[in-house]
Amino acid sequence: MTGEAWDGDDETAAGRFVPLYVLVNGRTSPRDTNLDLATQVIAVPVDSSRLEPEYLQILGRCGGWISIAEIGAYLHIPLTIVKVMVDVLLEQGYLDSGAPAQHKVVDMRLLNAVLAGLERL
Amino acid sequence: MNRTSVKIVIAGGFGTGKTTLVSSVSEITPLTTEELLTSASVGIDDVTGVESKTHTTVALDFGRITISPDVVLYLFGTPGQDRFWFMWDELAEGAVGAIVLVDTRRLDTSFPAVDYFERRGIPFVAAVNQFFGECEYTDDEIRSAMELGAEVPLVWLDARDRASSKLALIALVRHAMSRLPQAA
Ligand SMILES: Nc1nc2c(ncn2[C@@H]2O[C@H](COP(=O)(O)OP(=O)(O)OP(=O)(O)O)[C@@H](O)[C@H]2O)c(=O)[nH]1
Ligand SMILES: [Mg+2]
Repeated sequence: MTGEAWDGDDETAAGRFVPLYVLVNGRTSPRDTNLDLATQVIAVPVDSSRLEPEYLQILGRCGGWISIAEIGAYLHIPLTIVKVMVDVLLEQGYLDSGAPAQHKVVDMRLLNAVLAGLERL
Repeated sequence: MNRTSVKIVIAGGFGTGKTTLVSSVSEITPLTTEELLTSASVGIDDVTGVESKTHTTVALDFGRITISPDVVLYLFGTPGQDRFWFMWDELAEGAVGAIVLVDTRRLDTSFPAVDYFERRGIPFVAAVNQFFGECEYTDDEIRSAMELGAEVPLVWLDARDRASSKLALIALVRHAMSRLPQAA
């Protein structure tokens, strides 16, 4: 799509949407509305051998803390879909999540930490 | 501390240097993620006056800066075209604030971004990207042309330069801090 105006009738995007939609069992939005594209998750060391390959692929990226946006970028999965899939994995105990960026009251201590971090750059 | 994500939005009109800024400060090569388009997101690209632009960003680029073992800062560049407003909401929600990049050759392309953050009371700094080194406008001229409130910091930067981009981020964080109730 790069370099072209989207004309509202994109066959490729529509074609790609269907299988992914089926994959998430008809769910279109995550159960946990706190999930933000910057929320980080990490794999829980449990047996995941029964998971479908698409989910295993996500878990495979979560050996260390990683954000939903990063998972989407590395696996080329649209954000809406990653969010629902990550939510399924959280719900089933395969993933843990950190503090969501969304709905979080940004406090002075956190901003001080960010400021100090930037000054060290 | 719990594993925490902090977001800063890099906004501004089409071709104002958003992706360039993210690249210059990110610890990883900026990543691109995509979002599904909805029928509400149709529009036409504005390419007037952007000669050296070879392609348009239709997806979302972002970078990261590890602040501490527990805190990671994510920098999200907004998509350049107005048809992606639905993604701005997601980016802005819970964000520390935004840097609105301004290209003095096309001030008007950053009006919608200024308006967006102003209306929602989200802290932002206006950052003039010095594409060609010199600029014939003064701070006051830019402030009045952009209708910036007196409290909005105005900084000058070269988005290609890491130190310069870092100073703009610091200006934003300080501004966001000054607006917290405890700071009063
Ligand atoms: N001379 C100069 N060129 C710059 C500077 N910042 C960006 N550019 C150039 O301006 C063009 C646009 O920069 P981008 O970073 O892609 O802008 P953008 O805001 O991400 O663009 P969209 O995502 O398409 O809206 C590129 O060709 C950059 O190399 C700058 O500070 N000085
Ligand atoms: Mg860009």
